[in-house]
Amino acid sequence: MQEKEALMADSLLSYIALAMILFSIGFLGVIARKNIFIVYMSIELMLNAINLIFIALGRYYESMQPQVIALIIIAIAAAEAAVFLSLIVVLYRKKKSLNSDVFNVLNQKDAAHE
Amino acid sequence: MSNFLLAWIVLIPLLSSAALGLMYLFSIKIVKIPNIVFTLIGVSAPFASFWIATTFFLQMIGNSEIFLYKAYRWLGVDGYDIDMGFMADKLSIFMVLFITFVGGLIHLYASGYMKNDDGYGKFFFYFNLFIASMLLLVLADSPIIMFIGWEGVGVCSYFLISYYYEDEKNVQAGNKAFIANRVGDLGFIIAMITMFYYAGANGFDYINLEASMASVPPDVLTFIGLALFVGAIGKSAQIPLFVWLPDAMAGPTPVSALIHAATMVTAGVYMVARFHFLYDLIPDVGLIIAYVGAFSALFAAVIATKQTDIKKILAYSTMSQLGYMFIAVGLGGYSVGIFHVFTHAFFKALLFMGAGAVIVALHHEQNIFKMGGMKNKTPLVYFTMLIATLAIAGIPPFAGFFSKDEILLTAFGSGEYLIWIMGVVTAVLTAYYMFRLLFVVFHGSNYKEERKLHALNKSITMPLVILAMGSMFAGLIGVPELLGGHNLIGIWLSDWRNSSLHVAHDTEFILMAVNILAAIVGISIAYKKFFKYDMKIVPQYEGMIWNKFYIDEIYDRFIVQKIKKISIFISYKVDVNIIDMVVMGLSRSFIRGGHFISKLQNANTRFYAFTMLIGISVISTYLIMVMR
Amino acid sequence: MDFGILSVIIFLPMFVALLMLILPIGAKGTRNIAFLTSIIIFILVSLVYYNFELSGYMQFREHHTWITTYGIYYSLGIDGFSLIILMLIATLIPSAYLWLWDGRTKGYWISMMLIQTGITGTLFAQDLILFYFFWEAMLLPVFMIIGMFGTGNRVFSTIKITVYTIMGSLLMLISILYLGVAFFNNYGFWSFALNDIVQITNLTRTEEIWLFAGFMIAFAIKIPLFPFHTWLLETYSNSPTGGVFLLSSIMAKLGVYGIVRFVMPIFPELYKEFAPFFVWIGIFGLIYFGIAALMQINIKKMFAYSSASHLGFIVTGIFSLNVYGMTGAAFLIIAHAMATGGLFLLVGKMEYSLGIKAIPALGGIAKKAPIFTVFFAIMLLCIVGLPGTSGFVSEFLIILGAFGFSPSAGIVSAFTVLVAASFMFWMFQKAILSDSGNDVSQMKDLNFKEIVGMLPLAFLIIAMGIYPDWFFYKIEPTIQHYLIDILEIRNY
Repeated sequence: MQEKEALMADSLLSYIALAMILFSIGFLGVIARKNIFIVYMSIELMLNAINLIFIALGRYYESMQPQVIALIIIAIAAAEAAVFLSLIVVLYRKKKSLNSDVFNVLNQKDAAHE
Repeated sequence: MSNFLLAWIVLIPLLSSAALGLMYLFSIKIVKIPNIVFTLIGVSAPFASFWIATTFFLQMIGNSEIFLYKAYRWLGVDGYDIDMGFMADKLSIFMVLFITFVGGLIHLYASGYMKNDDGYGKFFFYFNLFIASMLLLVLADSPIIMFIGWEGVGVCSYFLISYYYEDEKNVQAGNKAFIANRVGDLGFIIAMITMFYYAGANGFDYINLEASMASVPPDVLTFIGLALFVGAIGKSAQIPLFVWLPDAMAGPTPVSALIHAATMVTAGVYMVARFHFLYDLIPDVGLIIAYVGAFSALFAAVIATKQTDIKKILAYSTMSQLGYMFIAVGLGGYSVGIFHVFTHAFFKALLFMGAGAVIVALHHEQNIFKMGGMKNKTPLVYFTMLIATLAIAGIPPFAGFFSKDEILLTAFGSGEYLIWIMGVVTAVLTAYYMFRLLFVVFHGSNYKEERKLHALNKSITMPLVILAMGSMFAGLIGVPELLGGHNLIGIWLSDWRNSSLHVAHDTEFILMAVNILAAIVGISIAYKKFFKYDMKIVPQYEGMIWNKFYIDEIYDRFIVQKIKKISIFISYKVDVNIIDMVVMGLSRSFIRGGHFISKLQNANTRFYAFTMLIGISVISTYLIMVMR
Repeated sequence: MDFGILSVIIFLPMFVALLMLILPIGAKGTRNIAFLTSIIIFILVSLVYYNFELSGYMQFREHHTWITTYGIYYSLGIDGFSLIILMLIATLIPSAYLWLWDGRTKGYWISMMLIQTGITGTLFAQDLILFYFFWEAMLLPVFMIIGMFGTGNRVFSTIKITVYTIMGSLLMLISILYLGVAFFNNYGFWSFALNDIVQITNLTRTEEIWLFAGFMIAFAIKIPLFPFHTWLLETYSNSPTGGVFLLSSIMAKLGVYGIVRFVMPIFPELYKEFAPFFVWIGIFGLIYFGIAALMQINIKKMFAYSSASHLGFIVTGIFSLNVYGMTGAAFLIIAHAMATGGLFLLVGKMEYSLGIKAIPALGGIAKKAPIFTVFFAIMLLCIVGLPGTSGFVSEFLIILGAFGFSPSAGIVSAFTVLVAASFMFWMFQKAILSDSGNDVSQMKDLNFKEIVGMLPLAFLIIAMGIYPDWFFYKIEPTIQHYLIDILEIRNY
């Protein structure tokens, strides 16, 4: 029994390690890439990394709740994809570009001083 | 007891002034009220007070009763009460009598003089308020109540001097009067407060102060005496605070008469006499007072010899006569000083009214060298003015002779020969400049431009006649025993007499002769130079005396301009460049810091995400380290 | 009076203001209801005044827990000193409303009502946090009223007053919190109630001095004392009439009130120790501001300096440590509030009719508006301290107090009789009396409402000068209580 737990703990760690690697790749994608599509894909990757952790932990603690949460996240991610993609279309129509640096209207340089 | 009537002496003019003021506002705003209503109320008030004062006067004859009336507790702090109290002793009731009488006559005169003025009601409002303040000053039973009247007189004079306020010059003259008076008040208030701490333990009215004055240390007494005298200097226009007096001629002539004759300027003399219990203890300060008086008398007389404005000549003569009074009270002869106040009230009021009548007749011409030949045109004014001029010059038996003689006698008898000499020289000068005025205005050849003279009505001439009689006979109450008189005034004010004075009869006769001689010398010089003066030549004066020794300019340059410079320095340099810089610099540094930090918000999404990463890393590292 | 009359007095205006905000009522309706509210409050305050007993202790206490965990109480009460300021507020505000009657927007009236809540709350609070709450709440509507309805560079003025007051308030808040913690360490439970805080015993001298400084700077900015005064000029000059009226006549006095209510009982030893410093800084301010006022061109700036000058004098009075100085200061608070308030209303009308604030551009008003001039003269004479007005009584008592403190202070402070007179009369001559040929034909004399509004002020100024004792007997026990029980001075 103890051996099994140790085995489980080891595999849990590797799941989490995988999830962290995926998350880091996703985060790097968000801050390093300019194309909004890539950014979106990176965000999805981060989401899935989290999902992975949820499911691994759910298996480890033999609990259903994390798996439910994972399902909800997937459902929401699907809905979010619809919104996000349509936003990207609108943004593209505005500036004819998918470079995220172009969208900087909030830059304070344009605001009046004092 | 009918002591409460004392309060009514003050209250009648006060209430009538309040009524006049409200009626005036009503009159200009809603329905015009005829002038006769204002006249009736305004002129009757001082005479009503006079009548009440007379009843007290009659009760006082032959005994030494003091009437006291405490109306209410004015201020009670910490178990210490200051009452709104009135006190009539022989000194104050005597003052009240001639203030109300002469003041009433001036009111009557003003009703004729001002009858075409738009602000007729307002004028009488100020006039009655002035009389009320003066009466409060005189009848008060403690220094602080006296101070209320004292300042009331000051502010009324401000409003009266700047009565024609559209002209900036007049208001400036009023300002000057008020500020100069305030400098004096500063002395008064310091003296009052010092007195309160050192002598006020048993009560702050004169009777208690007199009792506890002996226990005050002598240097404090000297301080109080000097500070009080600063107050007197301001109010009575002595050196160095006299500058307001000549400018105060900006007001209508009845105002000048009221301020100069019986009220306001005599308040300083009255105050010294009132505090005789203090000054008796500090003869050195008294000597200073006498010297200030003597210098002022001489100084003013010198200036008066070169003036051309009829009212300014009279103003300087007032200052000069006040100097005489201070000589007397400074040397302990309080009754003598008050006697001169009394006689002076008559002839000075008369001089101003006569001058006013001439000014009115000549359509507001004030330069004496543009008058001339008025003797035949206004004979009544001439004769009354002649009487007043003889009185002020000190020709017996007119009023001024007796009082001036006694003052100089006091100076001589006290051994202050320098003061006596200055007094005699002043007497010569007084006779000279007064007769110069009289000869030029009334005897000089006709002023060429023939104009129809303005008619003088009864209310102007009647007071002149009454005052002329006063100027003739007022001195008789003080005829010295030497000349077979009874010196009634000296007996009446026996508590205020200088009892240490003993002069041999022969000396006294000689002094009297010197005085008469001085007057005659002055008159003859004036006669030689100005009788039948050819009016074609209007003298142009210049130099030190004409410019009043440049005192105004000195004050302006060394005090007023300096303070103005400091003011500009403070408000536009120190406040703006130093104090404001520190605080607003602080706030600007915050704004600058804000600008610096706001650079982080550069609208770069990826940058935001990066900073987020850093934040999350820091927080989670911290949590891992701590939670462990 | 067990229905919590003080709470009603505080919150009625706020409640009405919020109601007005929701209801679709125009500016005129709001104004009428605001005026009605102020009259109701005046009646309530008169009830308080009538039922006030002659003692130096807190009365009309209301004590409820507010935030139990940290011992913060909703605690109200008044004593003689607050009572007179309360009477002042209740009298001044309806008068001011009559003057502001025409041409003001709904927001203006709502701000005015909110300010009233703030100032009465500040006056009643007996808990430090509650006091701080009202102290700040009173400022917000002031910022709004200056920022929205002011003239000139009003935004900058708002920033300036904000920077100053928030800086002071923060220092005070830190001091309050420190005191609360100290109390907790001392007694083992939390309380910010004034009655508890005064019993703290475990502060070192250094700590006390820092806390004392924190409070004093906050109040010194509000008063304002030298050198915290520069916000005053901009603010007074650019505020709308209602704002400057409340700032000058009431809020500045609350700074003095704060010193008496909080600093004196919490730090009685330091209060006595630093009294000479504050007496002299008050006198210095009196003369410094007086001289600065002399050459001001802007009439409102001149009054700002004059105000600061008199408040310096009030501070001299309350630090003089004797009954004359302190009653004199209490009296000058009333006298000065009436006179300055009245003057600012009058000047506000002049500015409203003519659009001019510069003294040389005025002149000849007296001919055009005699009743205006009469009231102007009465207020002016009170400021100058003429006997027969309330100004004299208070100045006399403060000089007396300063002399009792030290003769030299008394003598120097006597210069007050010269200071105000010199610039006030110059201004009166230039701006009101003499005709300088400027066009002032737009100037109108007071209408009926304005006369009614100004009469109580003028009447009180004169009545308090002629019969001051009538107003004294309610204050004096409180001052005696301060001196004997709090400061423990017996032989003053």
